[in-house]
Amino acid sequence: MSVFAMDWYLIGLLFFVGFYCMLASRSIVRQLIGLEIISKAAMLTVISAGALTANLVLAQALLITMIVIEVVVVAAGLALLVKTFRVNGNADIWRLDSLKG
Amino acid sequence: MDKGLLAYLLIPLLSAVIIPFAARSRARLADILANVTLLAGLLNLAWLALRPSVIAGGFADIPGDGFSLLLVGAVYLVGLCVTFFSAWFMEDGQANRPAYYSLILASVSAMTGVVTTTDFFTLYVFIEVLAVTSFALITTDESTKGIEGALKYFFLTFPASALIIVGISILMLSLGSLSFETLRIFMASDVPPGPVTFAAALIMLGFLIKSGVVPFHAWTPDAYQGAYAPVSAHLAGIVTKISGVYAVVKLATLLRFFDGRAAALSEMLMFLGLLSIAVGALAALRQKDFKRMLAFSSISQVGYIVLAAGLGTPLAIMGAIFHLVNHATFKTVLFLNSASLEKSAGTTDMEKLGGMEHSMPWTSWTSVIALLSTAGVPPLSGFWSKLLIILALWEAGLRGYAALALLFSLVTLAYFMVMQRKVFFGKKTQAAESAPEVGAPLLAPVVLMSALIVALGLLFPYFYAYAKMVAERILL
Repeated sequence: MSVFAMDWYLIGLLFFVGFYCMLASRSIVRQLIGLEIISKAAMLTVISAGALTANLVLAQALLITMIVIEVVVVAAGLALLVKTFRVNGNADIWRLDSLKG
Repeated sequence: MDKGLLAYLLIPLLSAVIIPFAARSRARLADILANVTLLAGLLNLAWLALRPSVIAGGFADIPGDGFSLLLVGAVYLVGLCVTFFSAWFMEDGQANRPAYYSLILASVSAMTGVVTTTDFFTLYVFIEVLAVTSFALITTDESTKGIEGALKYFFLTFPASALIIVGISILMLSLGSLSFETLRIFMASDVPPGPVTFAAALIMLGFLIKSGVVPFHAWTPDAYQGAYAPVSAHLAGIVTKISGVYAVVKLATLLRFFDGRAAALSEMLMFLGLLSIAVGALAALRQKDFKRMLAFSSISQVGYIVLAAGLGTPLAIMGAIFHLVNHATFKTVLFLNSASLEKSAGTTDMEKLGGMEHSMPWTSWTSVIALLSTAGVPPLSGFWSKLLIILALWEAGLRGYAALALLFSLVTLAYFMVMQRKVFFGKKTQAAESAPEVGAPLLAPVVLMSALIVALGLLFPYFYAYAKMVAERILL
């Protein structure tokens, strides 16, 4: 198997793990971890595409920007998690059902 | 990046940085700074596009492709209405004023970035910035509902971002470049599209989730209903439209759907558009909360834009652009009115409200104008955009789609009439007895937007010339 095929095999696996983690768990913390795994898999696709097209410089530049964005997103997500925990006293995603209609 | 419009991105960002320092001891200064920044930008834009010499020349010498200029105008207009409204809506000491205005200006700046960029990666960066500012804005009043809405929004938009990233890297593999222009040239050539359309489909899927089209609409009503009242106008009026729908329309023009090179994607998009028109309208019929009903109505109106974008002919793209602008005007009016109701009567539950027109005549009549425009009653602006979309569908031979779009336009009228009768007409209820009309400053943005709805409808020939120029520039 070529390196490229191995890359994308791993990426597919990581996507599956991430989505499974988001679907199967009730805790918001675990959901955030699942989300992180998904976005790491997405970042791997960028670096793999850069390596394959001999355009690693561009891929690295994109990736560093993505990591910076990722940090901000995680900070926002954790802030929401802390607020939810303070208001509701738990971090259970299935109990968020006050809005419906 | 379109250099001509870069200043509209940088100046609000600068203001957003200055506000927390300048307004540390005097919170009122934050109101003034935010309003002045946006008003100055709006006047500048009006000068750029509406000078007599530019109108006489058929809008030939405006910068860029005209589409970005129009949407920057819409962003500034809605931003100004929301900041002006919140300057009087917020009670002292209730929320952190400097942070709130900083975030609004940062989101205006990010939206300007989204509409002026010319490559997919910059688009992605600005969309993430916009998403992060929206979460913070939704939770402004720190209520349980706001946090819940923001959390649902968070967990649906970030998987969508991951899809966009995968699409971007497949585009890198197959096309070698991320600029819009390369994709347009590629789609105009005879090379088999293959993986490029796959990449475009992944990117489009991400943006469809972000715009709340029907199979992915779960977050939309919750986020709009839970958000802090003026923020829901900002969010529904412009933020989700720019972060999702704009990109879908842009991709539709880049993929040249009218050529039939990406026919499967085009059909899928049209189907999803019609589905969200239907589901949004039918779900809005049975809502009990005013804001939640408006949110479902928003899903339904987004459906019209997506349907037109999926068709992709120049006439349909004109309709989509015009409906995008109209949606910004009428949804801002309706959501700001719901915020006024919340401030005055203390609730947005339609069962508890009733007979509000006796005590709040201005709010009632601006709602009537906005809802008639949404339903597409001539001569208001919404009529023309829906007419363009339905004509384009008819012209392309899709009679069934055209008939269904027309039918659900009637359903729109029905649910808005039910709303108007329950909330504003009829006998006064207990909540209405003690509800005075809100002050003139809170009415000013709503009246301005209503005047704009009427004006866009009556001055349609001028706008038609502009939209035609835009559609020709971005398609050909």
